Amino acid sequence: MKHLVYLGIGIVVTVVFFILSCSDGFNIYEQLFFNQGYNDKMFNLNMYPVIAAITIGLAWGGAAIYYYAINSVKFDRWYHWLAVLGVVAVLTPVVCYIYNDTVFADNGLMYITESIMFELQTVLFAALLFIVASFSMRWWSSNCRHTPIPQ
Amino acid sequence: MLLMAWVLMAGLMSCGGHGHLEKAVRGILVSGDTTRAAYDSLCALVTDNPGKYGDLLTPEGTLDHKKMYDFIEQIGSQLRPPVHWDTRPYGGVENLSLTVYFERSGSMVPYDSRGGGGQLKKAVNDLINHFPAGSKVDINIVNDGIYPYQHTVDEFLKDRDIYQSTAGVGNASYTDFQLIFNKILEAQRPGNVSVLVSDLIYSPQDTHGVSLDKIFNEENSLATRVFAKYKGKSVVVQQFMGDYNGKYYPYNGVPFEYSGKRPFYLVIIADTDVMDQLASDKRYSGVLDTRAVSNSYRFNQGTATVDCRVLPEWKDNAGRFRVKHGDGIVLTKCDGDRQTGKLCFTLAANLGSLLKDDALLTNAANYDVSSIDGYTLAIQPIDQSMVTANNKEYLQGMTHVLTLTGDLKSPRDEVRISLRNELPAWVRQSSSTSDTSTGGSFATTTLGLEQLLGGMFDAMKGGNSFFDVTIQLQR
Repeated sequence: MKHLVYLGIGIVVTVVFFILSCSDGFNIYEQLFFNQGYNDKMFNLNMYPVIAAITIGLAWGGAAIYYYAINSVKFDRWYHWLAVLGVVAVLTPVVCYIYNDTVFADNGLMYITESIMFELQTVLFAALLFIVASFSMRWWSSNCRHTPIPQ
Repeated sequence: MLLMAWVLMAGLMSCGGHGHLEKAVRGILVSGDTTRAAYDSLCALVTDNPGKYGDLLTPEGTLDHKKMYDFIEQIGSQLRPPVHWDTRPYGGVENLSLTVYFERSGSMVPYDSRGGGGQLKKAVNDLINHFPAGSKVDINIVNDGIYPYQHTVDEFLKDRDIYQSTAGVGNASYTDFQLIFNKILEAQRPGNVSVLVSDLIYSPQDTHGVSLDKIFNEENSLATRVFAKYKGKSVVVQQFMGDYNGKYYPYNGVPFEYSGKRPFYLVIIADTDVMDQLASDKRYSGVLDTRAVSNSYRFNQGTATVDCRVLPEWKDNAGRFRVKHGDGIVLTKCDGDRQTGKLCFTLAANLGSLLKDDALLTNAANYDVSSIDGYTLAIQPIDQSMVTANNKEYLQGMTHVLTLTGDLKSPRDEVRISLRNELPAWVRQSSSTSDTSTGGSFATTTLGLEQLLGGMFDAMKGGNSFFDVTIQLQR
C-alpha cells in the first residue's frame, strides 16, 4: 500500500509538472530562464507541452529501463543508478534542442543561444523527474528495488 | 495508474473538442498567413466535418461566419502577443453604396482639360473602382443645386471630358456649400458613402462689395451649423494635387489664365460606423488610403482603441522588463540599463486605422506623454527593412514603432500616451486669404480652406485625443 502511495505521489507530481509547463500565467519553464521573444515563440508554437512530454518520457522511461530492463544484481549499486540518471540528464536537453531547433527552423526563426540556455534547465527537470520516477516504480523491481537508497 | 496519467496528459496536450481546427487557426495566426484563401481552408475544414464542428454551423448546415470569427478571436487572444484577424469581410457582408457629387463650377472645369494630367478624373474613377463590383454607385453634378448625371457609371468612367458632357447642367457661376452639404446629409441612407469632389472654394451668390473676412466668417459658421445638425456622421477630407489649365475666377477679382498645379478635394461623408468599416474592411482598402492623396483628415473621430504590442527584441530597447500577459500593457520586473540606469522599451502600434498622414503621426510634438519618471517618446514608421523572422510576429499588421525612454526611479509608474485631436497643420498651410494672383503659394493653397474645415472641426470634434495608450511599469 505504501508503495502505491509513492507511485501515486510520483504521478501527481509529474502531472502537476506537465500542467505548469503548459500554463500561460505561471509557467515553470519561464521561471529559471526568460527571454520574452524566445519564450513567446515557444508558447505560440505550442512547444512547451512537447518539451515537457519529452522530459517526462525520458525520465520515466530511463527509470523503467533501469528497474525493469536492466534489473540486474550486477547493476544494483547507487552509482549505477546515478549513471542512468546522468544519461537521462544529458539525453533530455539534446533531444529537446533537436526538437526545438527543428520547429524554429521550419518557422524561419533563429534562437541558438536562447535555445541552449533554455535546454540547460531541462537537465534539472529531467534529473528531478528521474528521481521521482525511481521512487515511484522501484518497489516492484526484482533486483534493484533497494537502489539508490535501501529501504 | 500510469496509463491513466498518460491519458490525462494526452488529453491536456490535445486542444479540447476543436483540436484540429484550433491547431490550424493557431498555425495561420502564428505564420501571419491571414488571407482569404487561409480562411476558406478553415471554412472547408468545418463544413467537411459537420459532426465535429456542428456548433460553428447554422441550423441550415452552412458556416456561421460570426461564430467562426468569435472562435478565431478566442484563439488569437491566447497568443503572445494577442493576434486579431478580422474575417468578417469574408462572411458575405452587404456592400456599401456610393454616391458621388461632382462639382461643376467655373473653377473646376480646368482640372479636366485635355492637355492636363487628368488627376481629378482619375481620383474619382479610382474611388468608384475601389468599391467592390456590384456596389450601387450614383453620380450627381453639383453647383447651385444637385443634378443627377444622365449617363451610366461605365460611361462616366470612360468620359474623357466630363465637363464638356455635362455642360449646361445647373448654374456654374457659384457653389452653394450650405445647400450641397445639407442635401447630401439629408439624402444619406444607412450603408451609404457620399463623396463631394470639389475645390472647396466657397463662392456664394451675390458677393459684390462683401469683404473677404465676412465671407470667411459666413463660411465658417455655415460649416459648423450644417454639420452640427447631423449627429453621428463622420467626414474624411482628402487633398489631391491636379493639373489646372484654364481660367481661374478669384473672389471679387478679375479672372485670369492659370496653368500649373492646384489642390482639389474629396469630401467623404458617411455614418461613423460606416466610416469605421471603410477604414478597417480590406475590401475598401483603396478608398481611404489611396496613394495619390497629399493630405487627409478625418472629422468626428472618437478616441480609438489602437492595437499595440511590446517589442521584446528591438535595437533601441535598454534595460530589462517582462511583459505580463492579459488585459492592458504591463511591464513587470523592470530594471534600468546597467550603465545609464535608463529603461527604454518599444511598442509596435497600428495607427493606420486612424487615417492620419505620416507627418502628423511621426511628429512627437503631437503627442502628450505623462509619467512620474518623465518618459519621452520617439516615433517612426515601420518599413520592411525592420522586419526580421524573430520580430515578424510583433510587427505584423503594425504601422509605427513608439519608443519610450525614461529614468527608472519610481517603483511603479504609469506612462500615458495620447495623440491630440487637433486640426492638422496642413489645413493652415493649404489655406490662403487671397487668390487674386498666381504668385506665392497659389499652386498649393485654397482660398478660405482653414475657415471651412475649421467650421467643420468645431461642429464635429470627437474626443480630445485620437487614441490613448497606458503602460504600467513595475520594478
